[in-house]
Amino acid sequence: MGIWIQISPGADKPIYIQVAEQIAEAIAKNQLSVGDKLPAVRKLAAELVINPNTVARSYTILEQAGLVTTKTGSGTFVADPKLRSSDAADLNLLSERIDTIIARGLNLGLEPENMVSLFKARLEGFVKKQESEIK
Amino acid sequence: MNDIVLETKGLTKYYRRTLAVDHLDLKIPRGSICGFVGRNGAGKTTAIKLILGLLNPTTGSSTVLGCDSAELKPSIRQRIGYVTEGHRLFRWMTIGEIEKFQRPFFPKQWDGKFFTDMIDYFELSRKRKIKHLSNGQRAQVSLALALAPHPELLIMDDPTLGLDAAIRRQFLEGMIGLITRQGKTILFSSHILGDVERVADRIAVIDKGVLRANCSLEQFQKAVKKVMLSFTDSVPAEIDIDGLLHCRRSQKELELVLVGADEEQITAWAQKSGADKHQITKMTLEDQFIEYTAPPDHKKLFQWEEL
Repeated sequence: MGIWIQISPGADKPIYIQVAEQIAEAIAKNQLSVGDKLPAVRKLAAELVINPNTVARSYTILEQAGLVTTKTGSGTFVADPKLRSSDAADLNLLSERIDTIIARGLNLGLEPENMVSLFKARLEGFVKKQESEIK
Repeated sequence: MNDIVLETKGLTKYYRRTLAVDHLDLKIPRGSICGFVGRNGAGKTTAIKLILGLLNPTTGSSTVLGCDSAELKPSIRQRIGYVTEGHRLFRWMTIGEIEKFQRPFFPKQWDGKFFTDMIDYFELSRKRKIKHLSNGQRAQVSLALALAPHPELLIMDDPTLGLDAAIRRQFLEGMIGLITRQGKTILFSSHILGDVERVADRIAVIDKGVLRANCSLEQFQKAVKKVMLSFTDSVPAEIDIDGLLHCRRSQKELELVLVGADEEQITAWAQKSGADKHQITKMTLEDQFIEYTAPPDHKKLFQWEEL
């Protein structure tokens, strides 16, 4: 199962975060499932033309978030969701992102209830896609 | 882990009365790719030439692979690859001839197959004369020549200057290849912050001959921040926050660029100065570099972790 990672130097997000976020998204979408092996650090670094230490840093972040586990000598694997942690800091970060979206919605002139239904529709769509990936 | 491949101590160079490099203390650990950045005329090329022993320092010293730069023996030079600014090669030679010329300088480790593979990959013929190549092609030959002996330390002086995006990417691929296959060390100067961000894990910032940062790229990216503050009444006259690089003010708003200040310090200062709101905004590496190298004064230097 291959995933497509897009690097944008010159963004206001450091590259190690860009890589970590895209892998996290692929895990959320089930494009990568439990037990899948992530590419070796050096291999991914060569493919993306970025420094191996940057990839290693991304994997560390994913590991700290409980999304992957590293087995010494054999590689990095997508972790079982039951074992994933979601601590206060993660939730805080998520809340901040939701705030950004709320602000955009208000700018577009959306009513709060419209935003709620939009959110629901997107969430349902996401879950459906996730299920179809499992099948 | 503290394996230092390259170290300069108080390295200083005057050209007559012009100070080009001012007490440079640079350290590069083994296995890192260090992006050496600075504005035009900041002293990058001079520093590189001093490190390679191609210029004599006015004062100070440097060591490369444990050997003093002023006395680099051939056995040490063989372990160093150097790509000059502008890819100066003998114009009358063909690519094949230039390989034959270069090879004896690296008798034991010259990898002819690797050189040929690279030349083929770049779709160049060994029979072509250097003077008939484009800038980009000369850069490709120069990269192949520098990589063929599999140097332990590769020093490149603005290797991607004036090259198109595709050839620049090949250069970066070559660098990543060298580091992933063999764990070698690279120092490269560049004006393209996007390239530095992509391939470097360390950054050395030089400004007017002074080394102003030498740390991991991540530490640098975390250190330089922009804060927007808004006030109901008026912006305070005195801005007394540590690590201030710049401030821009309007009637009720204040924009600060800070180095080294953490979020707690910023919040504390915002409260103390009576701001209603403050927000830390993200900056791109390019913006960070521009703000960092153009301060009103040089008083406040960024404290990086010593190797």
